[in-house]
Amino acid sequence: MSLNSNAYGAGIMAKTGKAFADEYFSEENQIVHESNEVVLVLKKSDEINIIVDEILLGDRKADNPTLVVEDRAGYWWLKATGKIEVDCEEASEILGRKFSVYDFLVDVSSTIGRAFTLGEKFTITSELMGLDRQLEDLKS
Amino acid sequence: MSISAATKAATDALAANRAPVSVNAQEVHRWLQSFTWDFEKNRTKYPTKYKMANETKEQFKLIAKEYARMESVKDERQFGSLQDVLTRVDAGNRVHPKWNETMKVVSNFLEVGEYNAIAATGMLWDSASAPEQKNGYLAQVLDEIRHTNQCGYVNYYFTKHGQDPAGHNDARRTRTIGPLWKGMKRVFSDGFISGDAVECSINLQLVGEACFTNPLIVAVTEWAAANGDEITPTVFLSIETDELRHMANGYQTVVSIANDEAASKYLNTDLNNAFWTQQKYFTPVLGMAFEYGSHFKVEPWVKTWNRWVYEDWGGIWIGRLGKYGVESPRSLRDAKKDAYWAHHDLFLIAYALWPTGFFRLTLPTAQEAEWFEANYPGWYDHYGKIYDEWRARGCEDPASGFLPLQWFMENNHQIYIDRVSQVPFCPTLSKGASTLRVHEWNGKKHSFSDEWGERQWLTEPERYECQNIWEQYEGRELSEVIAELHGVRSDGKTLIAQPHTNKDGKLWTLDDLKRIDCVFKDPLKAL
Repeated sequence: MSLNSNAYGAGIMAKTGKAFADEYFSEENQIVHESNEVVLVLKKSDEINIIVDEILLGDRKADNPTLVVEDRAGYWWLKATGKIEVDCEEASEILGRKFSVYDFLVDVSSTIGRAFTLGEKFTITSELMGLDRQLEDLKS
Repeated sequence: MSISAATKAATDALAANRAPVSVNAQEVHRWLQSFTWDFEKNRTKYPTKYKMANETKEQFKLIAKEYARMESVKDERQFGSLQDVLTRVDAGNRVHPKWNETMKVVSNFLEVGEYNAIAATGMLWDSASAPEQKNGYLAQVLDEIRHTNQCGYVNYYFTKHGQDPAGHNDARRTRTIGPLWKGMKRVFSDGFISGDAVECSINLQLVGEACFTNPLIVAVTEWAAANGDEITPTVFLSIETDELRHMANGYQTVVSIANDEAASKYLNTDLNNAFWTQQKYFTPVLGMAFEYGSHFKVEPWVKTWNRWVYEDWGGIWIGRLGKYGVESPRSLRDAKKDAYWAHHDLFLIAYALWPTGFFRLTLPTAQEAEWFEANYPGWYDHYGKIYDEWRARGCEDPASGFLPLQWFMENNHQIYIDRVSQVPFCPTLSKGASTLRVHEWNGKKHSFSDEWGERQWLTEPERYECQNIWEQYEGRELSEVIAELHGVRSDGKTLIAQPHTNKDGKLWTLDDLKRIDCVFKDPLKAL
């Protein structure tokens, strides 16, 4: 069975012992390589578990086929190509109460990529916000 | 009584246009931009060679009200869990004893980093001129205060509810005895708050936070959970919910200088220096804490490092900035070598110097030795055999009169301290990227373990004058130093540090050490 290339144990991580060392120390891996992926760490909580199950892996799964979600004990580890978005208005509907983007931030533990909020939407993108594209302000 | 014309006008206007009862937080945030001044010269107390742009944005659009609400929810959840369910299920005593020792170091040392980050981000608040950037830094000052308290609380909680509290309860006075302390001060203190303000931001936010907090504060929670510790994930994952804003602050600092001419001249050197400074300590110390301070292993440290540091930080942060002239750190090759071997090198020295710690260390078991060999081929022949010899000589038993440090002396393996990072290294045993270099300056010899630190020292040698452990205790007997620095338990004679976590094993005392008559000697004097 082949792993999604964004999986926690994909690529070199699937190798062990000498095979891992050979690739790890190979000449082409002595410099960083540009990556178009983003990583999001969500602390497990009542609300986050529902957002992961019912939105990211539920209603919105087809929107982002590259998304991988893995259970790492106290947190969910998410990786996707390009971007991950969470619309907190959708989360509010599912949770049955007001759930703002700031409520969501309570349990966002780490981001690798450029994360930002606009209105009730949280986005983490591989784009260089502020350089490739300007960060927007909320329009009245 | 008649009302004034002005009051009547205001009342009429409000009747026609009702005042809003609430304003969207992000609308409030937008108003921040009207606080922008175009300074001809930024009058900061903390100058930088870079010019930070005036229009820099803050990615999460924080205002004080939402910030305070978020943080109070975080604290309610964290302290609620700790004081209710985790106490009820006796979480402190469910932690594996080896991991209990690891958290003495991890939480206490992180507390120091958080404390210094308060000053660092206060400094950056003063240096920046863009109001949104200042807003981001200001929230970070408050976050760092929260984190300092949280880290202290972890040690307090372990002391109150856990096992073997010695070390958790008095780390602030005993942590300075051993050599791990000064290296930590170099990355967590000097690196964050000394020198050019933007360079400090690169150390703290772009490298320390965006890169190393992921293994230090996120991945550590998985190791903790695997070793029965639910206290650390409860607190550390909550700490990390602030770190994403700090990473964004670091990135926006780079955005703010991206178009400045100085960036093309200095940014890659500053980034390389910061990367090497941070990795030189975190790579071996975290690897040692995870692999040698746990009973149940999650994955080899080198894989954790490869994922979070090389692939994700390197590829997603630094790699993406390539088109703006940011280069792969020139020290990466040596850092990768360190990620594979340096934590093994460091544990050998840490175990040899175990009496100087404020925690108990454990030699790898036979089962662990198999795991090390499977994941680091060649481990047994280089390190495992030495541990077998130490164990055979009774290093865990005070009656043996044997300290592994004696083995180093008997076999002429000198332990030096790298002047810049303050990390100890043994050139004749090192498999990481450490080799001995010596310079003489200001009437004193200085040892270095790598060209990257050596370059930094050659640029500003006066910055690295901190005495190392050998210079500080030269000529003094070991038990005398430990007694003076309070490295004993409440009976006044049993050491806090021990070379095992076996509950039936005998505990070493000051008298046991005194009998060995181990005297500190600076190896540089013999050169």
